[in-house]
Amino acid sequence: MRKLRVLVVEDESLIAMLVEDMLNDLGHEVGAIASRITEALEIARSGQFDVAIIDVNLDGQSSYSVADVLAERGVPYIFATGYGSKGLDPKYSDTPVLTKPFVGAELETALSQISSSV
Amino acid sequence: MSNIEEFPLTGRLLSEYEALVTAAPGVLDAIPGAVYVCDHEGWLVRYNSEAAELWGRRPSLDEPRERFCGSHRLFLPDGSPLPHAECPMAQAMRSGVATRNAEVMIERPDGSRIVALVNIRPLTGRRGEIQGAINCFQDISEQKKIEEEVRRKSKDLEDFFENSAIGLHIVSSTGIILRANEAELELLGYKPEEYVGRHIAEFHADAPVIGEILQRLSCGEKLDRYAARMRAKDGSIKHVLITSNSRLEDGKFVNTRCFTTDVTGLYESENARRESEERLAATYQAATIGIAEADADGRLLRVNDAFCAMLGHTREQLLAMTFLDYTHEDDREQDARLYAQQVSGEIDNYAVRKRAVKGDGTTVYFDVYSSSVRDCTGRFRYGVRVLLDVTEAKHMDDRLREREQRMRDLLEALPAAIYTTDAEGHITFFNKAAVDMAGRTPQVGDKWCVSWRLYRPDGSYLPHDQCPMAVALREDRPVRGEEAVAERPDGTRVPFIPYPTPLHDDSGKLVGAVNMLMDISDRKKAEAYEERLASIVKSSDDAIISMDAQGVIQTWNKGAQRLFGYEAEEIIGKPVSALYPPDRREEELVILDRIKSGEHIESYETMRLRKDGSRIDISLTVSPLRDRRGCVVGASKIARDVTERRRNEERRKLMVNELNHRVKNTLATVQSLAAQTFRGENGNPARKRFESRLVALARAHDLLTRESWEGVDIQELLQEVINPLCVEPQRVHASGPPLLLRPKLALALSMAFHELCTNAAKYGALTTDEGRIKIEWLVGGGARGHHLYMRWQEIAGPAVEPPSRKGFGTRLLERALALELGGEVNLSFAPEGVIFTIEAPLI
Repeated sequence: MRKLRVLVVEDESLIAMLVEDMLNDLGHEVGAIASRITEALEIARSGQFDVAIIDVNLDGQSSYSVADVLAERGVPYIFATGYGSKGLDPKYSDTPVLTKPFVGAELETALSQISSSV
Repeated sequence: MSNIEEFPLTGRLLSEYEALVTAAPGVLDAIPGAVYVCDHEGWLVRYNSEAAELWGRRPSLDEPRERFCGSHRLFLPDGSPLPHAECPMAQAMRSGVATRNAEVMIERPDGSRIVALVNIRPLTGRRGEIQGAINCFQDISEQKKIEEEVRRKSKDLEDFFENSAIGLHIVSSTGIILRANEAELELLGYKPEEYVGRHIAEFHADAPVIGEILQRLSCGEKLDRYAARMRAKDGSIKHVLITSNSRLEDGKFVNTRCFTTDVTGLYESENARRESEERLAATYQAATIGIAEADADGRLLRVNDAFCAMLGHTREQLLAMTFLDYTHEDDREQDARLYAQQVSGEIDNYAVRKRAVKGDGTTVYFDVYSSSVRDCTGRFRYGVRVLLDVTEAKHMDDRLREREQRMRDLLEALPAAIYTTDAEGHITFFNKAAVDMAGRTPQVGDKWCVSWRLYRPDGSYLPHDQCPMAVALREDRPVRGEEAVAERPDGTRVPFIPYPTPLHDDSGKLVGAVNMLMDISDRKKAEAYEERLASIVKSSDDAIISMDAQGVIQTWNKGAQRLFGYEAEEIIGKPVSALYPPDRREEELVILDRIKSGEHIESYETMRLRKDGSRIDISLTVSPLRDRRGCVVGASKIARDVTERRRNEERRKLMVNELNHRVKNTLATVQSLAAQTFRGENGNPARKRFESRLVALARAHDLLTRESWEGVDIQELLQEVINPLCVEPQRVHASGPPLLLRPKLALALSMAFHELCTNAAKYGALTTDEGRIKIEWLVGGGARGHHLYMRWQEIAGPAVEPPSRKGFGTRLLERALALELGGEVNLSFAPEGVIFTIEAPLI
């Protein structure tokens, strides 16, 4: 798999750090880390990424809007969530989901799922 | 002899005596008849030969001389001895009077006797002195015999006349009764003086008849058993037969001798016999019942017209048959056997119903009454068979019986309890439904009702003899509109409506009653149910609405008023579309279509409009309403406001998500911390193991939250555990019944299987290409409740060696798990593969 530039939307910094480490371990690079909605939206609209990993819940706020922006831009994304696979809005049922906590292997699988469309 | 000497023989006139004594012997012999002469002392002096012949001897005229008579012995006609000195001669000598025609009996020396008619004349001399006497006698034995015979005959006749059993009378030429015998008098009841001397016509009942009789007799005709009627003294009429002839003398009618035979009795009995015979013959022929006479073998000897008609044969045909010939073959044996018994005298008579085949081949039913005619010695003469065609009656009987059977079958088959009683109320019939309803089988002698006990609808005890059936029978009227409750022996009660109806025979006489008991428990239950239902509808918080097939609202409860804001009065009669938001109008059509096809619409969530125009989320259930024939005539709708519920649900979901998010984030943070802590030791397997254990724990939590902490399906749990290991699915074979695991068990098993999996991936079966894992479980019941038996087995992996040291995994499996589960576990490092078994209570 080619090296991907990844947007990580995660409000917990320690977790963001973990994801970054995992991506690095998999040979990818983190393009940006956003921890708030407004920030994430901004980056999503303007930034350059191959894929995005989005935590669905950003400090109590839904981050579906970020996903929508990315979808508009044709950027594939993965949801990372503590809700479990059934906690998601049915509208996004096609989106690959990483249930927290996840291991590197799971991340790799998810990335390979979406990166084919990249 | 001095007298003789006194009279000279010549020259003087000799006296008679002298002349006789002196006459030559030939003179006396010339006299026809026996003659002898005695002298004045009675000494026998002369007799002729005829006298000697009659005497049978020749008495001596010399010494010793005989006196008065020369006979050997004399007897009077009555047989008493008559001494010679007393004989007529002696008397005539003594009296000097001649004896005329005296009779004596002379016995000869040989013992024979003759009767002699004696004429004696004394002989006197000139001076009138008795000189002797002459006796002329003759043998009249023959005449005597004849005379005796005549006398006897006449006496017999007289006796015959007088003592005859037949009436006899003699009538003169002028018709006067001259004589009548005892029998005649007795026959008519007259005394002789009342009968004899009267004209015979007085005693005849029919003047022309006696006229005819006399007429014919006067012409010398004979009457032989000429029928006449005579009048008896008591006025009764005697039927007599007169046999008579006339006595004519010199061609002149003298009298008639009539034999009168009383035939009154005979006549009467004959009359009666003839009458009865005529009657019998008439009856016999005219009878509408068949009558036949048969011999001992059953051969018909005589048949009447009806008999012929009944059998459809001519008399000639029948007289050539036995009665068995026309008897239906199935009935022959019985009739033949009975007839044989009757002929032999074992039985006097018998009656039998049998089938007979008529001349035209049709079968008819006869009632046969067979009896015998026997002679006075009891010998069988012939059998009399009386036939009654009962085909019609039999058919009617059969039809009646059939009808009755059908009626019984019908009554038996009726689902309603039915029983009948006689006029006194005794139960005579009951069907099965009655038994079911009564909860008992009515006993013999039960009266009025099949039930065990009765109560009035208000619960008070109702004695059987006051029950509606008893009233119907007593008052002879149907009773309607009553209600009662029957109690069964088991205590259950059945409310019912009785329909007792009196039954009458053709004459209108009460003969019993029939009663039908309609079990109304269902109706009662339905009524109660309806009441309850109505009150539920009324008090329900749910909106309950009904509408007709066109969607027009029919009923509207309080709940509906609360939910939609309309009062019942303002919405009933309006179309239900008033409740639909404009964008859901098509929903109404879909619902109506589905309801019309009889479909029930399970609760689904939708939206409606309130009276104020606001929208409400509701859950709606719609059911078709049917009429009694099952046709859909409308629909009922139950609507529940789910706005609140929906809100609550969303809130709960939000909270669960938030909680999950926090927990998972925390776990991920721990994961990150560990990652940072062990950074630089990238190849450290401990970190990886930790990470995977953390993930397994999180997954198990995830499962539980997803199922709202209610439990996890074991199959799904295994998948969640195995998935992160990225094992080819076919290498893990998991089988067992579907099973929902309680949260604690799910968590513990999740951790255990994670350890087993990672162990297998690191050392065991998943390290080789062929290695497989087999997981099986089953649920077993037992005294301690349901238990889960589970087994993990690694197959075709590398040879297993027990670990030198018990690591976390082993300890978790062997100790922590057993403790958490409250069950038993066994971990075996068998060389051919690890085997792990669990037994744990499911609850």
